[in-house]
Amino acid sequence: MLMFLIFIALLALICINVPIAIALAMAGVMGLLATEGVSSLVSIALDMYSGSTKFSLIAIPMFVLAGAIMNAGGITDKLINFVSAIIGFVRGGLAMVNIGVSLFFAEISGSAVADVAAMGSILIPQMKKRGYSAPFSAAVTSSSASLAIIIPPSIPMILYASSSNTSVEQLFVAGVVPGLLGAAGLMLVAYVFARRYNLPTEEAFNVKRLRETFIDALPAFTLPIIILGGIFGGYVTATEAAGLAVVAALVVSAWYRNLDLRHLRRAMLDGGIQTAVVMLLVASSVLMGGFLTRAQVPQDIANAILNITNEQWVILLILNFFFLVVGFFLHSAAAIILVVPIVIPLITAAGIDPVHFGLVVTLNLAIGQQTPPVASVLITSCAVARANIWDVSKVNIWFILVLLFVLLLCTYVPSVPLFLVEYFYR
Amino acid sequence: MTLINRLAAILDFILETFTVLLMVLLTLIVIVAVLARLAGESFSWYDEVAAIMLSWITYYGSALAALRRRHIGFDSVLLSIPVRFRMAAVLFGEAVVLTFFVLMAYTGFQVLAVLQGSYLVSLTWVPIQFTQSVIPIGAILFILCQLLSLPTYWQKTRAGISLEHAEIEEEVDAELAKNAPRT
Repeated sequence: MLMFLIFIALLALICINVPIAIALAMAGVMGLLATEGVSSLVSIALDMYSGSTKFSLIAIPMFVLAGAIMNAGGITDKLINFVSAIIGFVRGGLAMVNIGVSLFFAEISGSAVADVAAMGSILIPQMKKRGYSAPFSAAVTSSSASLAIIIPPSIPMILYASSSNTSVEQLFVAGVVPGLLGAAGLMLVAYVFARRYNLPTEEAFNVKRLRETFIDALPAFTLPIIILGGIFGGYVTATEAAGLAVVAALVVSAWYRNLDLRHLRRAMLDGGIQTAVVMLLVASSVLMGGFLTRAQVPQDIANAILNITNEQWVILLILNFFFLVVGFFLHSAAAIILVVPIVIPLITAAGIDPVHFGLVVTLNLAIGQQTPPVASVLITSCAVARANIWDVSKVNIWFILVLLFVLLLCTYVPSVPLFLVEYFYR
Repeated sequence: MTLINRLAAILDFILETFTVLLMVLLTLIVIVAVLARLAGESFSWYDEVAAIMLSWITYYGSALAALRRRHIGFDSVLLSIPVRFRMAAVLFGEAVVLTFFVLMAYTGFQVLAVLQGSYLVSLTWVPIQFTQSVIPIGAILFILCQLLSLPTYWQKTRAGISLEHAEIEEEVDAELAKNAPRT
C-alpha cells in the first residue's frame, strides 16, 4: 500500500511539471519518513552527495564537452561533404547523407536537441531547396539522430551501465552492428521515398572529389578512431576515451581554425549544464533507490513476474512494451535512471545478459524520442524544418517501423548485438 | 529591468563563470591523468578529486539550470488543464521543490558538523567539510534560483507556453541564423 501511494505521489509530481529529479528525490524522502522516521532524513545529504560522485560517470561531461566543441568547431561541414561524395549520387542523396552523418555525429554531445539543431539547420534547408518536402526532411533527420543513440559514445548507455553495474565498454561494442543495420534500413526507406517522389541525386560519383573531401575530413576521423579503437582495443577505459575525445575535438577544431574562446566557453557551459541536469537525476535516484532496496521492491517485482512466467522471450516482450510506453512520457536519461535499477533483479533472475538488455532498453528509448508527447528530437527537427509535428509523424512512421524491426531483431536474436562483444571480451 | 531580473542576471553570471571554471578544471584533471596513465604514471588523487569536481558541477550547474528552468520535466499534462487549477498546481509544485532543498540544506549542515576534523584520503590537507559544503550551499543556491526564475515560469505557464518548446525554438533559431549564409 505504501509503495502504491509513493508511486502515485511520484506520478502526480511529474504530471505537475516538478523536475523529475526532484519528484524522484521527494518520493524517496516520503518513503524514508514513512518507514524510518524523521531521524533518517540525514540520508538526504549523504545520498545526494554520494550519488553525485560516481567516478564512472565522469565520462558524461567529457563526451558532452567533446560533442559541444565539435558542434562549435565546424566539423559538421567536412563530414557532410565527405559523406555526400560517397553516397550523394544515389537518388535521394541528401537524405542518405543526413543518415550517414547522423551516425557519426548525433548523440555524441548527450543532447540530441543541440545536435539536431546544429546538423539539421545545415542539411534541412538544403534538402527543402532541392525539392524534398519539409515533413520528409524532418523525419529523416529525427529518426537517424535517434538511431545514433545506440552508436558509441552514447550517454544513455553510460547511464545504463552505471545503473546496472554493467561494462560500458561492452555496451558500446554491442551497439555497433545494430546501429549499422538500422542505418541501412533507414537508407532503404529513404530510397523508396526518393524513387516514389522522384527526389534528386547530388553530383555524380567522382574519385577525385572523394579523395579531396576525405583528406579534408581526415582530422575529424580521429575522434571515432580514438573512441572506438581505444576502447575496442582495450587500450583505454570509456572515461579515458572521453578525456582523449575532448583533446581530439580541441585539436581538430583548432586545425580547422573554427574554434575561438567564445565558442569554447559556450561549449564548456553547455557541457556543464547538461551534465548537472543528468547528474542531479542520478543523485536523486540514489535517495529513491536506497528506499526501494530496503523495501525490497525490485525483488518483489522480479518474483511476481517470475511466478507468472520464466520464459525469457515473454519477459523481454513485457519489458519491451513497458519501455516503449515509458519512452512516450520520459526523456531517455530519466527513464533509465528511474526504471533500470527496478528491473535489473528480474533480468538477472531470468538469466538475460545485462549487456543485451542494455541495448534493448536504449533502442526502446530511441524510439520513444520519436513519439509525442515527450519527443524532443522530433520536435527539434520539426522546428528546424518549420513543419507540423503530425505531418512529420505521418512520414516518420515508416522510419519508426525500421527502428522497431531492429529492436525486435536485437531482442530475439541476441547474437546480433552480442557477437562482437563475444569476440572482443568473452 | 526589475530588481528580480537584475538579481537573476547577476546570479546567472556568477554561476555561469563558476560552472565554466569547474568544467575547465575537471577537463584538465582528466586529460592530464589519462595522458599520465598512458605514459605509465598514475596519480593517487585522481579518482577522489575528479569525483568531487563532478559533484560540484552537479550542484552549481543545477542551480544555474534551475535559474534557466532547464531541468528535465514533463509539462504536457500541466499545460492542458484549466488555468485556475494549472496555477494552483504550479504553486504546489514550487512548494515541493523548495521543501526538498530546504531539507537538503538543513541535513547538509548537520553532516558538515559531524565531518569536523576529517580530511580527504589522497590529499590529507583538504578538509572534507570543504568538499561536502557543496550540498548545503548548492541547496541554498537552488532555492534562490528557483525563486528568481518563478515570475517568468509563472507568466509562461499561465500563457500556456511550454518552456522546453521555447528553448528548442531558441536553439533552432540561433543555429539557423548561424548557418543562414550557407543555405
